[in-house]
Amino acid sequence: MLLTEADGKALLRAADIPTPPGQLVRAPIAPEIPGPWMVKAQVPAGGRGLAGLIRRADTPAAVEDALRALLGATHRGHRAGACLIEQVAVGAEHYLAIALDPTGYGVRLLHRAAGGVAVEAGGRLAGTRLPPDPAAIEAALPGLLPPVVVPVAARLARLVLSRELALAEINPLFVTAIGAVAGDARIVIDLNALPRQPALAARIAADPDAYPDAIRRHENGFDYVTLDPAGRIGLLTTGAGLSMMLIDEMAAAGARPLNFCDIRTSMLRGSPARIIAALGWMAAASELRAILVNIFAGITDLAEFAGLLAEALVARPVAVPVIARLVGRNATEAAAILASRAPGVVLEPDLTRALARAVEAAR
Amino acid sequence: MIGTLSRQTRVLVQGITGRMGRTHAGLMRAYGTNIVAGTGAPGTVDGVPVFADPAAAVAATGAVASVLFTPPAETLAAGLAAIEAGVRLLVTVAEGVPAHDALRLGRAARAAGAVWVGASTPGLAIPGVIKLGFLPDVALRPGRFGLMSKSGTLSYEVGYRLAEAGLGQSLWVGVGGDSVKGVRFADLLAVFAADPATEAIILVGEVGGTEEEEAAEAYAALGAPKPLLALIAGRAAKEGVAMGHAGALMHGAAGSPDEKVRRLEAAGARCFSSIAALIAACVSL
Repeated sequence: MLLTEADGKALLRAADIPTPPGQLVRAPIAPEIPGPWMVKAQVPAGGRGLAGLIRRADTPAAVEDALRALLGATHRGHRAGACLIEQVAVGAEHYLAIALDPTGYGVRLLHRAAGGVAVEAGGRLAGTRLPPDPAAIEAALPGLLPPVVVPVAARLARLVLSRELALAEINPLFVTAIGAVAGDARIVIDLNALPRQPALAARIAADPDAYPDAIRRHENGFDYVTLDPAGRIGLLTTGAGLSMMLIDEMAAAGARPLNFCDIRTSMLRGSPARIIAALGWMAAASELRAILVNIFAGITDLAEFAGLLAEALVARPVAVPVIARLVGRNATEAAAILASRAPGVVLEPDLTRALARAVEAAR
Repeated sequence: MIGTLSRQTRVLVQGITGRMGRTHAGLMRAYGTNIVAGTGAPGTVDGVPVFADPAAAVAATGAVASVLFTPPAETLAAGLAAIEAGVRLLVTVAEGVPAHDALRLGRAARAAGAVWVGASTPGLAIPGVIKLGFLPDVALRPGRFGLMSKSGTLSYEVGYRLAEAGLGQSLWVGVGGDSVKGVRFADLLAVFAADPATEAIILVGEVGGTEEEEAAEAYAALGAPKPLLALIAGRAAKEGVAMGHAGALMHGAAGSPDEKVRRLEAAGARCFSSIAALIAACVSL
């Protein structure tokens, strides 16, 4: 998961990598640090500069104007609950990143003496493969980088390895004769490592504005991501890839899916709690018109799932059509259970037709 | 190692005494997989001898492949023990293995010349011959399509509809939804190219990482030996958030499905935007 710039910079500072003087604000106020300033919306997504979410301000009044414009703005599905005000930094703009290298089973060092929006992580720069070992990396760096960048890169590598990061990118890194300052921070963390990274876990938990999906995942044990708050079709599905594919196919048919969902039927363990939670989030969406249930049960007993779905629909009734497509073990028994205990649910065994019915119901 | 799997391949199940391990060991045996040993508290589980560790299991039974039903945090240690014991093929099904653990396991497997499939995979199968993991029987049918997928469920849907259409799979490998993993799409292309039972290859990919791009490069380098049909999920993914799978993460332009489709098509693959369109193309091949 991508961290906000402010959280990424907090990690950098903890690793002794300097960042410009700055303050994180959640209301339009005058800056406490000397100017001129950059005002930056805090959303965990790229392309902020091109979207106008990073603005330069030369007077305190201009800072407040920028804050009024940027606080609450949305960008690629994320809402900016906070802005970072920073003193403008100077220096040559470099690009520096340490990324996990899945094919080399190590890390990749990426550096260019010209940074800026044109340079993207991973793609355009080949970089240098290094083993996942801080001592070996430090020994290699002087041969790979300008002397002033070496200490920053060594600290960045140690940060990646100790915090189990997937990517730590600084772009731009402002380089002068006496040192280097991180102008931005793009840090991708590994949610699978969070149980043994308590400092990172605490940081995520502290900012529900920036990380609603991760917090929801942690609290409920499954994935539910709101894609379009004004979406009309809720998805109650298991399996990440199939859920994504259904969303793509609905979007291609002109429909507006509300959410991504991987309920993980094998982990329900006889409780309707996850289904009730997901139905509740869907019911809270203002434009909800239909719910599509799709379960391909390789292992799961569909009769048990159907019972839990019926139980959940009693505990948390929904006012829109529910179209269910259930395939796998005990599908016939599941259909009988739904017919008697949740007769409002429309069963459709063919996925293409089930999708079409959901799209139709949401028009 | 994947190319030489057979009904005789001796298979170890690590974690066979757990709920999941015991269930799936039984289902694999019912499919015809030659399960010769398990690890856990020593004794037997449904007639299969259980040893304290992979070294003892391999020494006693000659197991060469292992399916690991270990929790994510224990998968690295269990995998290293299997490699140390001489296991040549590891299948780790756990979802949630930390990426830095995967780096270490991948380095160890590569150094030992062992093949690792996973993590976060339903496993692999040669339909009608052997199943390692828990690919659903309803979707497995012997046939001429080599199938590889990051997603379990999306591949189940593809396999199920192939079977409904009277088609099937020569070899099916779930590479898993993690970013750092064992076998990757590009590695498998050579296996499918060399397999006489495989007439065409289906790649089921998704948003995130560069695996599809690597596969495009490898496919072109192999000279596009057999038709490659691809389905890439996640065009509507939310940026900065992993879509269920740890590896399904797009940030900036990195990992975008459009780029994957562009690269695959440039290499000679055919890409489809719906499951139905993919299956229709398979039927007409």
